[in-house]
This record gives sequence, structure tokens and C-alpha cells, in this order.
Amino acid sequence: MAKTELNRNTETETEIEVEDSSSLKGTLASVFLLGFILIVTWVSVYSLFLDRS
Amino acid sequence: MHLHKFEKIWLIFGIGSLLVFLTVLGVSAFYLGNQPPSCLATIDPEKVDTQAPFNEPGLKKVEGKEWEYELVFVASAFNYTPGEVQIPKGAKVKVIATTKDVIHGFEVAGTNVNMMLEPGYISELVYTFNKTGEFLVLCNEYCGVGHHMMTSKIEVVE
Ligand SMILES: [Cu+2]
Repeated sequence: MAKTELNRNTETETEIEVEDSSSLKGTLASVFLLGFILIVTWVSVYSLFLDRS
Repeated sequence: MHLHKFEKIWLIFGIGSLLVFLTVLGVSAFYLGNQPPSCLATIDPEKVDTQAPFNEPGLKKVEGKEWEYELVFVASAFNYTPGEVQIPKGAKVKVIATTKDVIHGFEVAGTNVNMMLEPGYISELVYTFNKTGEFLVLCNEYCGVGHHMMTSKIEVVE
């Protein structure tokens, strides 16, 4: 007979969190990469506007 | 509340660049006076042809204003009046335009003159033509089957 799996999650959940998630180096790098892309595009469009006026 | 050191760095960076962008826009709007081309001046689109300045489209010299010329354009499906105009080099021109029917665009290719013409509204923009040559005026708001053929020409001469 099939068993219900209702109780399964509660026990395994604590074991998944073993990876070290405190390092934010990758996040920092990607945040700044995105930030610089935004700044470069904004500045280039605005300087194009100023150059044409 | 505990914040990771990196989180503080990118929050400061993000908020800082937002402030820089907004300051530049604020100076541009409130100090340099840049505003949207259509700024609440209205007109009855059915009576465009009979009302000044649209009863005489084209370039006109004006005195005692911040600009030297006024360039009046009337757009309708699918052409501009005038179809061609000459402007002396270095002239500070106020472009005044409106439409008689649907929404049209008014873009002078290669310059900052780019505005939307809405029925019932007058669009205005001041621009100094510092480069000689031929400039294509084109419609960049889809207005119907003849949209791609809707053009005019501005010639900047010495
Ligand atoms: Cu069009």
C-alpha cells in the first residue's frame, strides 16, 4: 500500500542547509557588473543627447 | 538589524548612483529648462488650417524672442507641410508642430529634435542648427498605410 509522504519534508529540511551561504562574493560581483552596465549605457545615451544639442 | 558588509557596499552604491541620475535630471529640467515638447498648449484639430501660426506653415523670422526663427509644421496622413524647408546655419529655431488627424511623430534624423504630435496639442522644441546639410524629417509613430512614406526635408545652408 502506498504511504503518504506528508512527514518527509520536516526532517530533511534541516540537513539541506549545510552549504556555506555566508559568502556573498559572487553576489557582490554580479551586482557591480549590473551596476556598471547600467551606468555605462546611461552615460553613453546622455552624452549622445548632449553631443547633439 | 544585521547587514553583511557587502550588502552595505552595494546599497550605498545603488542609492548613490540613483541620486546622481536624479540630480542630473533635476538640473536638466529645473535649471536648464528642458521640458516635454507638448506642454499643455492646445488647439482644435479641425481648425488647424485657419489658426495662427498653422495657417502659414514654414520658416518665419521673429523679433524680440529667445529664438530667431519659428518653424511651423503641420502633419497629416501621410505628409508634412512644408515638404521641404531651408534654414540658415547657426539659426536658433523654435519648431512648432501639430497634427490634423491621428498621432504622428516628428523626428529630424541625427538631431535631438524628436517629438510626438498629438491631435489637439501643440508640440514645441527649440533647437540650434549648427551643421549644414540635408536632414530627413520622418514620422516615427505608426499612423496608417502610408506611414513609411511620410517624410519631409530640412536643408541647413550657409
Ligand atoms: Cu507615421
